Amino acid sequence: MAMKRMVAIVEDEPAIRDNYAAAFTREGYVVRTYANRSQAMTAFASRLPDLAVIDISLEEEPEGGFELCRQLRALSPELPIIFLTARDSELDAVSGLRLGADDFLTKDLSLAHLIARVNALFRRVDALRRPSEATQIIRRGSLTLDAERMQVEWTGQVVLLSLTEFWIVYALARHPGHVKNRQQLMDAANVVLDDNTITSHVKRIRRKFQVIDPKFDGVQTVYGMGYRWVD
Amino acid sequence: MSIRLKLLLLGLATLVLPWAGCRYAREMETALREGEQSSLLSVAQTIAASLQGRGDLLYRQPAPLQIADDAQTSEEAVVEPDAKPSPYDLRPILLSAQPFLDGYVEEWPQNKGAWRYFARDQHRFGVLTGVFERMLYVMLDVHDDHVVYDSPGASPLDPSTFGDRIWIGFEGQDGHEHQVFVAAMGPGSVTARRIETGEYGQLTAVNETRILGALQPTAQGYRLELRIPLSMLGEHFGVLIDDRNQRGADPVSYGTLRSDDLHTVGRLIAAAPELTGYLKQFSQPGLRIAVAAPEGRLLAQADALSVTNVLGPERGILAQFYRRFVDRPGTRRVIDSSADIYDREHKRVIGSLLVSQTEDRWLVLRDRALTHMLNLTLVISGIAVIATFIFAASLAVRLSRLRAASESALTREGLVTTFPETDASDELGDVARGFSTLLHRLNEYTGYLRTLAGKLAHEIRTPLTIVRSSLENLESEGVSSSARVYLDRARQGSERLNGILVAMGAATRVEEAISNAERMRFDLVPVVKSAADAYRIAFPERAFATETPDEPVEIEGAPDLIVQMLDKLVDNAVDFSPAGAQIVLRVRLEPHAAVVEVDNPGPPLSPDTRDRLFESLWQSRSGDSDNRPHFGLGLYIVRLIAEFHDGKAAATSLPGDTGARFTVHLAR
Repeated sequence: MAMKRMVAIVEDEPAIRDNYAAAFTREGYVVRTYANRSQAMTAFASRLPDLAVIDISLEEEPEGGFELCRQLRALSPELPIIFLTARDSELDAVSGLRLGADDFLTKDLSLAHLIARVNALFRRVDALRRPSEATQIIRRGSLTLDAERMQVEWTGQVVLLSLTEFWIVYALARHPGHVKNRQQLMDAANVVLDDNTITSHVKRIRRKFQVIDPKFDGVQTVYGMGYRWVD
Repeated sequence: MSIRLKLLLLGLATLVLPWAGCRYAREMETALREGEQSSLLSVAQTIAASLQGRGDLLYRQPAPLQIADDAQTSEEAVVEPDAKPSPYDLRPILLSAQPFLDGYVEEWPQNKGAWRYFARDQHRFGVLTGVFERMLYVMLDVHDDHVVYDSPGASPLDPSTFGDRIWIGFEGQDGHEHQVFVAAMGPGSVTARRIETGEYGQLTAVNETRILGALQPTAQGYRLELRIPLSMLGEHFGVLIDDRNQRGADPVSYGTLRSDDLHTVGRLIAAAPELTGYLKQFSQPGLRIAVAAPEGRLLAQADALSVTNVLGPERGILAQFYRRFVDRPGTRRVIDSSADIYDREHKRVIGSLLVSQTEDRWLVLRDRALTHMLNLTLVISGIAVIATFIFAASLAVRLSRLRAASESALTREGLVTTFPETDASDELGDVARGFSTLLHRLNEYTGYLRTLAGKLAHEIRTPLTIVRSSLENLESEGVSSSARVYLDRARQGSERLNGILVAMGAATRVEEAISNAERMRFDLVPVVKSAADAYRIAFPERAFATETPDEPVEIEGAPDLIVQMLDKLVDNAVDFSPAGAQIVLRVRLEPHAAVVEVDNPGPPLSPDTRDRLFESLWQSRSGDSDNRPHFGLGLYIVRLIAEFHDGKAAATSLPGDTGARFTVHLAR
């Protein structure tokens, strides 16, 4: 086992912060916790963590997490960053701020799911450092999906999806033409979200594909049922 | 009683103005009458003063006369020229019209008291004298069994031919005594003659042409009517009848002349002709000025009473109508005033001056003022009534607008944000502003309630996260199996709590989703059909039927939201329908709208809940079979989505109260 990975948790609520820290410690991570942005930035300046879990609202700063993310991203372009929010609606706000976070999660996500997601992100970091294994690659027309690296390409161009978005696309594209309802997508993405959030995730996925190909129509809505992938 | 009616009655109260006007006109009339009376009195006094001591005008003699009302015939015929009244005095009445000289008495005033009678033995005659303008008229009514006429053609001086004769004796202006006689020559006009003594002593009968007359026989005798210019006459005047039984016989002479020398013993108490002229200079239309002797007999007058005034009374229908209200019954049409005329020493009353005036003079003024005033007050009253009515109507309109706004503010979806009448500066504006403030606060409160669930959910989420993460950590710590039971229960409880939070925040999330929603054109029919397929899977205990038109029903909107709306409607329909019931999803086309309807059998909707169904936090659910929390937000979300599509949601009972129908109009 190599050096223990270090996870930074920036969260102003001490009880939540300590609970998260306990869970990550239990999983074998080194955990550093910070209550606000200045504390976190002071620490990050001397040493960068391997992954950061950041609450959007930090003490006096209602959107201090965004600012912290921007500063952190400036220090390290590859560092995985997970946003945590108390409100579902903030996910929509995030969508407009292309801050380069790797995932957006609500706090009602269970610790197990959170840890699974952190593990997945570390896996992706590791996978990106290794040469690609062909067995994990799914091709659907113009879509190339690398499950190992959790990376999606459309007509050869990388689509920058968050982890949740990747898992949704993965769940849909694995069985083209099959309708996946919202619950199935939530399970696939390891999230507990309401219908509207799934809808906005799907919307965001489409938009990201459409940046590369304006005619993209791979994710179809089956009203009242869910979504399906069409080639 | 409505405010409109009350104000109208109030307006009608201004009709008291014309009534007050009538009262005022009457009082004005009284005051005017009093003023006229006093001015008339001063006129009378002025003229009377100007006539003070003017015995020459009043009685044609400068010396003051002892004139008592003493018409008793006294045998003591003592002539005292300037003193005692004599029984032989004649007092002519003032004639209002010129008698026709024909011997008939009919056109004379029927005034018995004015006749003077003289008698001797069985003979008697009556004499009536009158003055008209500058003439003295004498009417003699002679009782005579045998009227003897002069023999025709004989000399008037031949005593043997004499028949009945009438002598007139008078004192001329020169103071000398004159006599003329009238011989009865048969019916018709008569000639008066005077006897003159010639140069050589011969007597001649000269026709006195200034005196005219006529004779007419009557059943008792005859009547003689004479006219003598007053200018011929002095103070004294008398009549003597020579009654003969046959021609040339000795006459029975009697009358007011001495029978021996025919000298006058009585006076003619009549005004000078100039008096009338004197009075006339004061004359005005509608005014009568008269001078009367102390006994009341008129001496002279200037009568312009009946002369039409320059200002004729108002003849208009309105004026006559008004007069009916103002004129008191029995109002005198003439006012009188009188003043005494004194002698030079201001001791004795020698006569009185009478002034009469027709009311017309001030009636005209009154009528004019009255008519104008009444017209004005009627117009003002009319304007007041109309203005009151208009005001009342506008007030009623404003009130009903206010009422409508206040009613719709609470029952309809959405509170009225712009309340009417709040700009008005009057009390109604205050009320409206009060309402507006109240509604505004209510709106804030409702808004607070609406967002309360979302805010609460957010606030609870953080402690819930603490609880859940703590439970998860605890689970990882490896608790004993007996403690795990409680751990599981705590986790289940927190899961339920989380479910509640999700439901509570639903409306907020939908509002946010709506604000982020993108509009596109899409066909409603496949969306509804696809959704129905999903419901068949989701609710296997209900049957779902779709009724859609063959043509595409394209609307502008968000299909995701439409499906979400259908979810809520179907949720509701499933909750209120029995197992096995058929729920109908229908799409209809209307001229400007696409209509989505969801019918479910089950209990009908009561009318009072129908309007409130789509409000936030309203629910009429009696009991829940499932464990899902309900905050009455489902139909509120339906309304929000309908409004996003420029439409509206409504609920009715199915015909026959067999169930409920929810209808959503979406703009096309």
